[in-house]
Amino acid sequence: MTGLEESRDMERVSPVTVVLHCLLAVSIFFLFISSWWMLSLPLPSEVFTYRELPFQLHKNIGLTVFLFAVVMITTALSRKRQSKPGARTKLERLTSFDHLIIYILIFACCITGYLSSSYSGWQTQVWWLFNLPSWTNENDKLNILFSDVHIWTCWSLLAVISVHISAAIFHAAKNDGIINKMFRL
Amino acid sequence: MPRPYNSSTMTVNSFHKNNDELANSHSTSMTDNKVFNLPLSGVLIVVFAILYFATQANELLRQVVIAPGSVAEQISEADCRADELVEENLSLAECQLMVSSVQITLASSPSWFRSFQISSATLACIAAMLSFLIGFKLIGSATLSAKLARFSFSSLALIDILQFLAVLNTGPLLRAQYLWPLLIWLAIHISFLIIFLALNSSGGHEKEMT
Repeated sequence: MTGLEESRDMERVSPVTVVLHCLLAVSIFFLFISSWWMLSLPLPSEVFTYRELPFQLHKNIGLTVFLFAVVMITTALSRKRQSKPGARTKLERLTSFDHLIIYILIFACCITGYLSSSYSGWQTQVWWLFNLPSWTNENDKLNILFSDVHIWTCWSLLAVISVHISAAIFHAAKNDGIINKMFRL
Repeated sequence: MPRPYNSSTMTVNSFHKNNDELANSHSTSMTDNKVFNLPLSGVLIVVFAILYFATQANELLRQVVIAPGSVAEQISEADCRADELVEENLSLAECQLMVSSVQITLASSPSWFRSFQISSATLACIAAMLSFLIGFKLIGSATLSAKLARFSFSSLALIDILQFLAVLNTGPLLRAQYLWPLLIWLAIHISFLIIFLALNSSGGHEKEMT
């Protein structure tokens, strides 16, 4: 393998990352759109159970997104360790920063959502297979706190994702080959 | 070197190139308005496919959750506990209207509407996945079946038209919720369909992106 081929091989994103990136994108947008709708459903009671399915689905997709993000960041870090150190351009540093912020916000959204759910007193069934162990009692104040943090981190995530998509469109319009790396299995 | 355009495939060059070639490609793209930017179209198709999939999957969920004969048809009184109102940052009026919102959907949906929406939203999710793959292929690989692209966007536009016609035959309350978003999606899908039809009709049009 020549040096150039080796460097191209290093530049290529692994197929696992490409697939996870796509699944993550679809899941995140579904979570946004469904959450705006499900919060307009009647508040839960013994009679009104409209929120049960959408909320369980929301929590399960959130948990799955968390796992996808863990795999993706692990892969990204191992690639970074293998890559040869070199001078990076301002744009490359900015891109790394954007990716880092996205990962941080994804983890923050998932963790605050989980904490809010834990303090709400409602059980979480993992894909309708088993219940997540309950480790705390119902606490309205903490539920509201984590729920608010969850909402604001998610709005921030949406803003950063908009920048991310804009950057993808920018590179595609320039046709500089950067976008091609992310869309090749 | 220009390559002849084939009606069933569009070709893109490898993106592995040196800086000189890149600089050359930029000047070509900007000066020659006949060059079709495949990666840009691909990215836009992928982004819209993801948004469309999420929208239709949410519609599927909505139809599954709000079923005819469910409790909101029999009980109008909402259960608005004070602590829940604080948690959700809601007024009492808003909480009570949430039940009305479900009642609006149930009362304005004709008997056939739910099954139609479930079927069409499922088909729409499948068509969205197909268009996602087309966008993906436009960006990342050398060839794309133009026939498949036309089929995909025709299907998406047809689903939009059918959903639009279905909603037209419901009451004003559902029309107010659905028609405008459906019209926007129809415009997006028809735009992409026309692009692929135009590429096909332009015979020897060069699609090569260097």
